[in-house]
Amino acid sequence: MITIIGITLKGIFRDRVFQGIIALSVLFLFIPSAASLSMRQVTELSITLSLSLISFILLLLSVFLGATSLWRDMERRYTFSVLSLPIGRSSYLLGRFMGLTLFLILTSTFLGVLACVMIKVSSSIYPSDRPIVWSLLVLTLLFTTLKYILLVGVALLLSTVSTSFFLPIFGTICAFLASGVTQQVYEFVYSPSAEKLVSPLIKMLVTALYYFLPNLSGFDLKVNAIYGIPANFTGLGVTVAYFVAYTAILLGGAAILFNRREMK
Amino acid sequence: MNAIEIIGLCKNFTGKRMTKIEALKGLNLEVARGEVFGFLGPNGAGKSTTIKLLMGLLKPTTGLSRIMGVESSQTLSRTNVGFLPENPAFYDYLSAEEYIKFVGSQFGMEANLLATRTEEVLKRMDLWEARKRHMRGYSKGMVQRVGLAQTLVHDPDVYVLDEPMSGLDPIGRALVKDIILDLKKQGKCVFFSTHITDDVEKVCDRVGVINNGQLLVVDSVTNILQRGIEGYSVLTISPEGVQEENYVGKDELQFFIQRSLQNNQSIEKIESRSKDMEAFFLEIVAR
Repeated sequence: MITIIGITLKGIFRDRVFQGIIALSVLFLFIPSAASLSMRQVTELSITLSLSLISFILLLLSVFLGATSLWRDMERRYTFSVLSLPIGRSSYLLGRFMGLTLFLILTSTFLGVLACVMIKVSSSIYPSDRPIVWSLLVLTLLFTTLKYILLVGVALLLSTVSTSFFLPIFGTICAFLASGVTQQVYEFVYSPSAEKLVSPLIKMLVTALYYFLPNLSGFDLKVNAIYGIPANFTGLGVTVAYFVAYTAILLGGAAILFNRREMK
Repeated sequence: MNAIEIIGLCKNFTGKRMTKIEALKGLNLEVARGEVFGFLGPNGAGKSTTIKLLMGLLKPTTGLSRIMGVESSQTLSRTNVGFLPENPAFYDYLSAEEYIKFVGSQFGMEANLLATRTEEVLKRMDLWEARKRHMRGYSKGMVQRVGLAQTLVHDPDVYVLDEPMSGLDPIGRALVKDIILDLKKQGKCVFFSTHITDDVEKVCDRVGVINNGQLLVVDSVTNILQRGIEGYSVLTISPEGVQEENYVGKDELQFFIQRSLQNNQSIEKIESRSKDMEAFFLEIVAR
């Protein structure tokens, strides 16, 4: 499996994905000047912009790398030669996932360091009354990375059943969009105001979707990082447990489906 | 224990409008260790399906296959096999050297041995100069040679080659034939599919002909060629020195030799006139 992780990372670097990230990261240079447009919240805005940019880049990576990694191997017939080696399909899948995960961590670290430098620059030019809590910033980055690692799991699961890249790519995007609102929708349908508006059938459907679709709202700690609000560690513990359980279910499902897949 | 065993192997695919396509119908076959077996059949006969089932890339509808006694569904069955898929494709962002080393590492080869073997096989396949280049810049023939190199690197006992001569120039084809003959000398089992009868005639011990998913015949190449003898071309020289080429029927050779000797004619050359493997193949498939 370690060799598969190595091959995955080599493929990503040689396809010049990291160069693309470096090119995109030039945008970080504009953060201090863009943040200065805000009269009183320069530091806060620079944190917001930095975290949003990191989040956007990680989203692109998780959707496109996650969705095309396995699909491309099957489309280009690499799987015929690799899966005929003494490698279990589950190991192969897990190797791919771990490779992508490592790349996301690497990218997140690189972009995180860049973001910290830019936030420091912004705050030194326009000092804020509120001190920057760097540990919260790191925690936010960590949970953002976990969120996109989970999304890679969704993309890989969809890749194992699809014969084209449409389902993995658009399915992952849909899952991501839905994951941000499932919590709100769930809370709404069970609120007293929705008691008469929502039928029991809809409630059941929403509940089923709430548990089936990923819920990524708990991974968002941006507000804590921006305003220096201490994190609720019990809540974070639940989020980490959710990440581990949901990712394990995704990968387990992906492994079962991939093992059953016929390499025609 | 046979190197390859195929027992009642059936494979159905679902076609358009849920129609059932029987790609393989109860295939039974055994290939011994040290044997070179040619799997002949026209396009779409079921050769590649059989090989994919053997390598665990497809799951059989019914029946089973084994490599060195281990069922193909198990990863362990692939630990002593070198497999070349049809029209192979490898991670094109890797160089040939990196890929061969990757394959060797999957078979648990020790680093020093792997480095030595990688050099050997790349040199043998005439890829040494290009070893550092990414495979995305390789020609089809070069990729095919990488495919053969990766089957050889870990020195397995069984080789499963799907159309190994495909995409190769005459020099490459001759090289593959040499390699197969060399493997035969080393006592390795080679199971290869082809639709080129000449390849089979030159390198195989036995041949199986498959068409429409059914194995029609399995026989030794020697038997097939022997059975195909239709007559002989005999060159005689009379006492006056006149050369004459005669066509002699299959059962009349002894009589012709005796008569020639009685007439003081010397026999310069006897050549058998036989149906070749291609004629045999066409005859079987046309049945």
